[in-house]
Amino acid sequence: MIGNEATPLSRPLAVKAAVVLAALTSLWGAFEYLGFESSYQRQYADPYQVGAQFSRFEAFQARVPENAVMGYLTDLAPGSVAAEAMFGSAQYVLAPRLLEKTPAGHDLVLGNFAKPGDFLTLGLPYGLRLEQDFGNGVVLFRKESR
Amino acid sequence: MAGLLWALFAVALGGLLVYRFVGFAALQPRWAAWLLTFGAGVSLGIGLTSVVFFLLRLALPAVPGISVWLEIALLVGIGYEIFRTRKPAAVGNTKNGFLLNLLLACAVLLALAVATIAMAGAWEANPWGNWDAWSIWNLRARFLATGGELSHRAWAPTLGSHPEYPLLISAFVARCWVYGHSMSAAVPIATSYLYLLALLSLTAGGLAVLRSQSLGWLGGLAILGTPAVLHEVPAQYADIPLGCYMAGALLFLLLEHPVLGGVLASMAAWTKDEGLLFLAVFLAMTAAFRGRQVLRAGAGALPVSILVIAFKAVLVRGTPSLLGVSVPGFLSRIEVPGRYWQIIGAFGSGFASMASGWYHPLWPVLVLVFVLRFDRTRRQDLLFSGGICALMLAGYFTIYLITANDLMWQLQTSLGRLLVQLWPCFLVAFLVSLRTPESLGWAPLSAGAQPQAKRASRNTKAPRRR
Repeated sequence: MIGNEATPLSRPLAVKAAVVLAALTSLWGAFEYLGFESSYQRQYADPYQVGAQFSRFEAFQARVPENAVMGYLTDLAPGSVAAEAMFGSAQYVLAPRLLEKTPAGHDLVLGNFAKPGDFLTLGLPYGLRLEQDFGNGVVLFRKESR
Repeated sequence: MAGLLWALFAVALGGLLVYRFVGFAALQPRWAAWLLTFGAGVSLGIGLTSVVFFLLRLALPAVPGISVWLEIALLVGIGYEIFRTRKPAAVGNTKNGFLLNLLLACAVLLALAVATIAMAGAWEANPWGNWDAWSIWNLRARFLATGGELSHRAWAPTLGSHPEYPLLISAFVARCWVYGHSMSAAVPIATSYLYLLALLSLTAGGLAVLRSQSLGWLGGLAILGTPAVLHEVPAQYADIPLGCYMAGALLFLLLEHPVLGGVLASMAAWTKDEGLLFLAVFLAMTAAFRGRQVLRAGAGALPVSILVIAFKAVLVRGTPSLLGVSVPGFLSRIEVPGRYWQIIGAFGSGFASMASGWYHPLWPVLVLVFVLRFDRTRRQDLLFSGGICALMLAGYFTIYLITANDLMWQLQTSLGRLLVQLWPCFLVAFLVSLRTPESLGWAPLSAGAQPQAKRASRNTKAPRRR
């Protein structure tokens, strides 16, 4: 596959054909991308519903100061993709408030729940009092003062 | 919208700096010189304004507006300097060569339009990007945009999502958000698209100046004919910016602009941790193959490298990193033969999965290699460029070998993107080493093509700045 520049090939047609073929093949790649990306986006349009979190947390953001460092409580299995996505998207929307993945050791705790439930009871084992239920599974807990 | 204007402001600033101090405008062909100026301007402008914004947020948090005035002053100063020292426009002596080069240029524009249409759908469906975009890169931008002490949360140890990662992309997005007074999703979208345009411009322009016009256009087409690369653009990750910096650094070394090459290599290190490996490999290979350039490349890399080292050694000291958690007990992992086979297999399948249907981005390259064949007088360039790619792959292989994380998970979540980062460098290594179509008598040599063909045949040095 090593050629000699000193003796140029006298086959311009083959070279032209190769250049055209390479260009057409690359164009084929661009169109393949168009098809792939279109079907990918149809299948995975905002799969973790990041956009929806802005309205979901709107009232919560108004209530909690920007410099808050908060604990976190959820009803999803720890380490699952759904749990990580809910935590990550909540952190993204609530920044610069900082979330830590545990309810322990924080005065303020964000409750981020996927299903309706008795949120008051869910906070009790961690010594948390339900401060406000914002609806849609978003809850603010506060640590019970002793 | 205002955030987008500030992104373009950074591009303008970078472009003027390159125009004034690097002098690509004197290179031939003219279109390639302008593409190089644009590509370098995007990479340098985004990197420079990001670094300035970050440093001033850190050093002078009480004066949040200082960076914007500094940038404006710099732009006005450089603009005035260019206006004051302007010369009559050079008379271009290059024509497009012949019809096929014109058709190749049209093919690049068509491929770019097709890719952009596909991305527009992705931007609409997923304006926040993919997982890492909102959980790492843009999340940290939101912290940085806050200002004051709260911006330090971008690298807080308690931040679960890689607080130790470098901050070039996050700081640039934060800069545009702050200046534009809005955290619009359009800013990270535009940033990733600008890097694609820069990568395209650098590859096409660099190869056209180094070798020939047709190889330049074919290099641009090869970038746009890689679905895996294009798919990473709307993801809004840092892999396309990193790939752009790596390919840019490589091309500028080949173009005998080692300072700019060094600057871009150091910006790769401030973009992603893999960029640190690239910086080390880049300087080592420059010392080995282009010893007379290594000091200037090192000087170019020094300022941003100091920032990266200070960030790693001071600001995120003690924060666990992939390498940091992998070193303890690595001996027990490298003794397991199965890990080697698993990684080799994953590299093979990762490369194969760059295909889309029957198409693989290697096909156009193979067509060119088969017909044009390698130019033996370009062996040094091939060894230099290919050596960088090979060492990067070896580095990635080593990291996988010693990682303390679950190997399967690590490979599945990262290998595809590592190959995307390196793919532009592979393309440059291949295309820079081929004989040019122009030199093979595919048409009468045009005025513009002749000097390049002669350069190739004599293996003279790449064009110097005039």
